[in-house]
Amino acid sequence: MSAVPRLPGGTRASGWDEPADLNKDPALIPDPATTEVPAELRKTIEEAMARYPERHSAAIPALHAAQELHGWCSPEAIEQVACVMRVTPAYLDSVASFYDMLEKQPVGRHSIYVCTNISCSLRGADALLAAVQEQAGEDPDFNVRAFECLGACDIAPMASVDGVYVGPLKDEDVPQLLDDARAGRPVLPEKQLATRLVADPNANSKEFPRHAPEEGKP
Amino acid sequence: MSELLLFKDIDEPGLNTLSVYEARGGYSSLRKALEMTPEQVLQQLEASGLRGRGGAGFQMGKKVSFLPQGSMSKYLVCNADESEPGTFKDRELMQKCPHMLIEGIAIAAYAAGADRSFVYIRGEYVLQADVLDAALAEARQAGYIGDRVLDTEHSLSLVIHRGAGAYICGEETGLLDSLEGKRGNPRLKPPFPANQGLYKGPTLINNVETLSTVPTIIAMGGEQYAKLGTETSTGTKLVSVSGHVQRPGNYEIELGIPSREIIYGLAGGPPEGHEIKCWFPGGSSSPVLLPDDLDVPYDFDSMAKAGSMLGSGAVIVVDDFTPIVDLALKVAKFYRHESCGKCTPCREGTNWTVKMLERIDSGEATPMDLDIMASVQDHIIGNCLCVLGDAMAMPIGSMIAKFRGEFEQHIEQARAREEAALVGAASGGGAH
Amino acid sequence: MPRPEPNTITFTIDGREVQAPENSMLVDAAKHGDVEIPVFCYEPKLGNPVGACRMCLVEVEGIGKLQTGCSTPVKDGMVVHTQSERVKEAQRSVVEFLLINHPLDCPVCDKGGECPLQDISFGWGGGISRFIEPKRHFVKPLELSPKIAIDRERCILCYRCVRFSQEISEDYQLVLLERGAHSFVSTFDGHPYVAPFSGNIIELCPVGALTSRSYRFRARPWDIEDAGTVCTLCPAQCNVKLTVRDERVMRVLSREHSEVDDGWLCDHGRFAYPELAQGTAATSQNGSGPAVRVGMRVSQPLLRDGGELRPVSWERALTEASAALKRAGAQTAALAGSGVSNEEGMLLARLMRDGLGSPHVDSRVHGALPLDLLQALSDPALQARVSDLEFAHSVLLLDCDPLQDAPILDLRLRKGVRRHGLTLERVAGGDLDALRETAKRLHEHGEEVVIVWGERFAAGPDGAERVRALLELAGELKLAETEGAGLLEIPATSNGRGLREVGVLPNGAPGLRPASGEGGKDASAIALALAAGELSALYLMQADPLDPADPFSASAGEGAWAGACERASTIVAHATLLSPGLYEHANVIFPAESYAEKEGTVTHPDGRIQRVRQAAARAGSTQPGWAVLGQLGELLGFDAGVLGERSASQQVFDSVAFYRGLTLEEIGGRGVRWQERHRDGDAGHEEASKGSAPHPHAFAGAEAEEHPAGNEGDGS
Repeated sequence: MSAVPRLPGGTRASGWDEPADLNKDPALIPDPATTEVPAELRKTIEEAMARYPERHSAAIPALHAAQELHGWCSPEAIEQVACVMRVTPAYLDSVASFYDMLEKQPVGRHSIYVCTNISCSLRGADALLAAVQEQAGEDPDFNVRAFECLGACDIAPMASVDGVYVGPLKDEDVPQLLDDARAGRPVLPEKQLATRLVADPNANSKEFPRHAPEEGKP
Repeated sequence: MSELLLFKDIDEPGLNTLSVYEARGGYSSLRKALEMTPEQVLQQLEASGLRGRGGAGFQMGKKVSFLPQGSMSKYLVCNADESEPGTFKDRELMQKCPHMLIEGIAIAAYAAGADRSFVYIRGEYVLQADVLDAALAEARQAGYIGDRVLDTEHSLSLVIHRGAGAYICGEETGLLDSLEGKRGNPRLKPPFPANQGLYKGPTLINNVETLSTVPTIIAMGGEQYAKLGTETSTGTKLVSVSGHVQRPGNYEIELGIPSREIIYGLAGGPPEGHEIKCWFPGGSSSPVLLPDDLDVPYDFDSMAKAGSMLGSGAVIVVDDFTPIVDLALKVAKFYRHESCGKCTPCREGTNWTVKMLERIDSGEATPMDLDIMASVQDHIIGNCLCVLGDAMAMPIGSMIAKFRGEFEQHIEQARAREEAALVGAASGGGAH
Repeated sequence: MPRPEPNTITFTIDGREVQAPENSMLVDAAKHGDVEIPVFCYEPKLGNPVGACRMCLVEVEGIGKLQTGCSTPVKDGMVVHTQSERVKEAQRSVVEFLLINHPLDCPVCDKGGECPLQDISFGWGGGISRFIEPKRHFVKPLELSPKIAIDRERCILCYRCVRFSQEISEDYQLVLLERGAHSFVSTFDGHPYVAPFSGNIIELCPVGALTSRSYRFRARPWDIEDAGTVCTLCPAQCNVKLTVRDERVMRVLSREHSEVDDGWLCDHGRFAYPELAQGTAATSQNGSGPAVRVGMRVSQPLLRDGGELRPVSWERALTEASAALKRAGAQTAALAGSGVSNEEGMLLARLMRDGLGSPHVDSRVHGALPLDLLQALSDPALQARVSDLEFAHSVLLLDCDPLQDAPILDLRLRKGVRRHGLTLERVAGGDLDALRETAKRLHEHGEEVVIVWGERFAAGPDGAERVRALLELAGELKLAETEGAGLLEIPATSNGRGLREVGVLPNGAPGLRPASGEGGKDASAIALALAAGELSALYLMQADPLDPADPFSASAGEGAWAGACERASTIVAHATLLSPGLYEHANVIFPAESYAEKEGTVTHPDGRIQRVRQAAARAGSTQPGWAVLGQLGELLGFDAGVLGERSASQQVFDSVAFYRGLTLEEIGGRGVRWQERHRDGDAGHEEASKGSAPHPHAFAGAEAEEHPAGNEGDGS
C-alpha cells in the first residue's frame, strides 16, 4: 500500500480516487475459523467488551490495542478486531478513520504530536514543528505530526512524545527529544508536564515570546 | 482570591493517592451525601447554583433534575474530553486530584439515581488516564465505587474510557456516540440525553470541573457555596490562561472578578513592549474581546453581555504583533479539521472560510471577500446540527467585525506583494 | 403490537390552517397544506431523521432558532413559516453550501432531469454562487460494486446510502470514512459493496453520486416513460416502476407499497431485466452459427427437428403441439411455474381438464394438500398481512428463509426487530414438537404471533398431517381471533397462491372448490407416472423441473424428472429463457412473455390480487400466454371463450367465488386483498375484522359450508 501524505494540519488525505476491487469478496464479519487473532489481542478486546453494557463501546479501546500491536490500523488489524467484536470491518474502518490518534497508514513507532493550535502557535509552535520535522528527517522510526490543541497551553509550545507531554520547547531541545525517544529514555525529564506545578509563577515567563518585538507589528 | 476550593491542596505531593486525599478529608462528602436522601443531595446542588464548567454553563442541579424518575438504568457520563483550544484545567484536576472527581461522580450519581458511570477522557491525556485508572482501583478497593457503596443500597460502576482524538467528542451527544463505539457525530436534539442518552437510557453528562466541585458543595452546603461569586455565576472557577502572557497556567478565581485581574494580576499580562490586541475569554470558540473589555467582570452573564462567552474558562491572550489574519486562519483551520462532516453548513462553511482566508493571505482577495466571509459566518450561525459550526463562525465573525481595517490592509499589502512579485518575475524574465 | 393511530391536529403554515396527523414531522405535515419543504437527508423509510443536510430549516413561532422540518413533530396550534425571508435565506445558503463542491456536470449526469439537487437548487437556491475557489476533483466514476458506480465529486454527504446499509439491510458494508469535509462513502479496504439489497442506494441517492452501471448513459428522463407493474420473479411480488425507452425496459425502480415491499427492491429484482429481455447467452444475429443456446431469450417458437431445436413459425409450432397433445389426450400432465398469471393458469387448467380430459395439472411444487386443508389455510381471519411481520410481537419462520424465498420480507422482519422489538425465531418443520414449544413460548410473550411458513413444510407423504398440526396450533394460539396474528405461507413459485386459487390443482377447481371427476396427480406423481409410461405428454408453462434454479426441480425425488423427461413422448413448453431441461427435452417451445411484457393478474401470498401490466414490447414474435392457450384449444376443439386480456381476467373473477365482482379497475395500481373486500363483493374496502364470522361464501358451493374455514381453530 502506498503511503498517502497527510494534508497540512494533520488531516489524512483520503482514498477518494480508489475504486472497489471487483475481484474481492464483500467484506462481511470475518469468519473466526479463518481469521487468526493473536491471543493477547483477543483477550484485551474481550475484556474491553465485557466492561460495557454494549459490546460496540469497545471499538476504540480495541482499535487502540490493535494499533499498538500492528503499529497502525492496518486492514489486517481491523479484520482481527472485527472478528473478535463480531462487526464488519467497514464499521471499524469508519470509526478508525474518524479519530486522529488511530493511524490509517503505516507510521513510525515513535509518535511526536507537535501542538500547533492557537496558544502554542502564538508561542512559536510552527517553528518548533518545522525544527522537529527537519531533524527527525526521513527517520522511519518517527511519526511527526502537527496536532490540534493537546490541552497543555501552559507549557506552550509543547509536544506529546509517545504520550508524554513536554514543554515549553525550544529549538535546542529537539535533538535531545529525538535522542531520548529513539533510545526509549524518559523524554526531556525536566520539561515533562508531570513535574510542573499549577501556574508556576516562574514557568515560561522568560522564554516568551519567540518572535521579537522588532519584527514589527502587522 | 481569598479561598481556594478546587486548588486548595493541588500541589500537595501524593494528593493523587487515596491515603493523602483521605487525610485531607477526602470522601467525607460522599459519606455525608449517602446519609442524605438523593433528593436532599439534589437540593444542595440546586441551591449551590453551580453552572456547568464545560462551556454551556447550564445549571448542574437542574440538569440532574431533568432525569426521569424510575427504576430504569441511568447513566452518568463525565466529559473529560477537554479539547477546546486554550483549555487545560480538567487535565490538572484529573492528574493531581483524581479522587475529588471520583467522589464527585459518586455523589452526583447518587443524586441522579445512576448506577453506571463513565469518564470519557480524551486519548491524548495518557498520564491523566493512567492516574485515574490507579485512583479508581483504590476507590473500588475502599468501597467508594462498586456494589453497595459504603454498605448502602447505592451501587455504582465506573469505567475510564479513553477517546482517540476528536474535538467533536467534547460535544455531549458526539461523546455519547463515541462512547457507544461509533464515529463521534453529534445527535439531533431532542431527544435530550437526560431522556435518551447513552444506550438510549437517561443520562447525566457533566464536565470534570463541575463534578469535582460537587464534594465541596456537599461539604460546605449549597447555600454557602452560592455566596461565592455573583448571583447568577456562583462559586469559583478554574481559568486556563495562555498565549501572550508572562505566567500561563491554571488559576482558581471567584467568578465575577474583573478580567484584567486574571490577565494582568494572575498571569502577568503580556511581556514588556507588547500590548494586548484581543483576547478570547472562553476558548477559541468565544468571540474575541478587545483591551477595552478588560474590565468586564469574569462571569457568565457579563461575558454574554459583552458579546462573548465564558465558555470553558480558557483565556487566550493575543498580542499586538500577531496579524489578525493569521489568527483567523488558525482558528478556521482548526474547526475545519474538527468538523465531523455530518451537517452541511459546518462541513462546507468551515472549509470555505479557510479557503477564503488563504486567498486573503496570498493576495488573491478583494475587500468584497470580507463581506462574503462575514455572510458565510452568518449562514453558519444557528443553522447547524450542533455548535461546532457556530464555534468557528462566532470568533471569525467577531474578528472581521472588530478588525476589518486590518483585514483590508492585509488584503492590500498581500496584493501589492503579489503584484510586485509578478512584475519582478516578468521584468526579470525579460532582461535575459 | 399496537400500530400508531395519530390524532389529527390543526396547525398554521404560511398563514393557512392545515390539518395533519399529530406528531408527524413538519415536512410531512406541510404536504397536507400543499406546502413543500425541501429535503435531502430526510427519508422516513430509513428510520428516525438525522437532521444532517439542514435543507428543511423552517421558522416555528416561539422557537428562536430555525428548526429542521424533518425532525420537528407538528403539534396542535403550531405556527410555521416556510416563506419568511429568514427561512429563504437559510435555504439559499444551504443550497449554496451544497453546491460549492458539487461539480454541476448535470449535462452528463444520469440523474440530470430527475435530480432532487437540481430541483431544489432551482426552487430554493439563490441562482448564483459566490464560491470562486477551485472545486475538488476526483477520478470518476469508480466502481463500487459490479452493479453500482460511485461519483464522489457529486456526493453531498446526505448519509442516505450508508444509513440504508447500516440500518435497513444491516449489512454494514457501506460506511463513511474520514471526517468533516474529507468524509467520503466507501467500503472496507477496497472490497466491493455486494449485498442482497445494495441497489436501493441508487434510488436513495438524491444526486448522481450512485448510479446503476447497467443504466448508465442509457437514457435521459425526457426519453423515458414510467410503467407501473409487479415483479413476478419471486412470491414477494414487489411493486415496481419500469423505466421504458423505445419499448424496452431500461431500469427497474421501486413503486412503494407499504403492504407489499415497503419501498425496497432486492438486487435480483432490480437488475434481472437485461437478462429477461435479452437472455444470458449471446444469440447470433443473422441466423448463422448456433442460434439456439441455453440461456437465450426465446423470442419465436422453437421446434425439435432432427434432435435439434429450430425456430419455426407459430402456425407450425401450434400444429405440431396440438397434434402431439391430441395423441396424448388424457395422458397429458401440466405444470404451471413461476411467472404464470392467474389468467394463464386458469386457461391451462381448463385446457387440460376440458380440452384434453386430463386432471393432472399442478402448480404446487411440494405435493397436493387435501382441499379441506387448503380451504382452512385460506381462512381470511387466519391470514397474516405483510405489515403484520413488522408489528407482531413475534414471528416464527417455519421451513422458510425469507432472504431466499421472498427477499423483501427479510427487510420487513429486520425493520420489525430493529424498530418495534419484534422477536424472530426459526424452526425446522421436521420437528413438530419444537414448533409447538417455540410457538407457545413466543405466544406467552405476546399474543400477536405470525407464523411464516414455506411451502416445503408441506412436502412429502406426511405433509398434510403437518399442515393439520400447524392449523391446530394456530387454533390453540387463537391466531385467527387475534388482530395482527396469523399464518403467512410463502409458496414455492411466485404466483403459487394465485394459481392454486384459480384451480391449477390436481384436486381443486377455481375458488378451491372440489374438482369434478377424479382427482389428478400432483407434481411428484406426474414425474413417476411419466417415467413409468402411464402418462405420455408434459405441458410445462414457465417451468422446467430439470433446471436446478426452477422450484419444480425440488418436486420429485432425485433423478425422477430426468427419467420422466427421457420417457415422455412430448414436452410442450412456454419459456422466456431457454433452460437446460427444455433445451434437452422439449419438443415445442412457445416464447413466453417476461413480466414486463405481460398483462394479467397475480395473487400475493397474503391474498392481494395485483395487476401485472405490459410495459415493454414483447420480444420477437412472442404472443400472450392466453392467446397461445386459446389457439391451442381451438386446434384441440376446445373453445376457451377468451377474446382478450380483459376477458381472460373476467373469467378469473367470475370463476373464483371470492374474487367475484372484482374488476381490473378496482385492483388498480395498488392491488386488492380479496379478504378485505366487502363480503357482498362490491367495491368496498372494508376490512374483514378478526374474530368476525368467516366469509360463508368464500368457498362457494355446499361443500364449502361444511368447512367453517378453521375459525374455531380446530382445523379439521
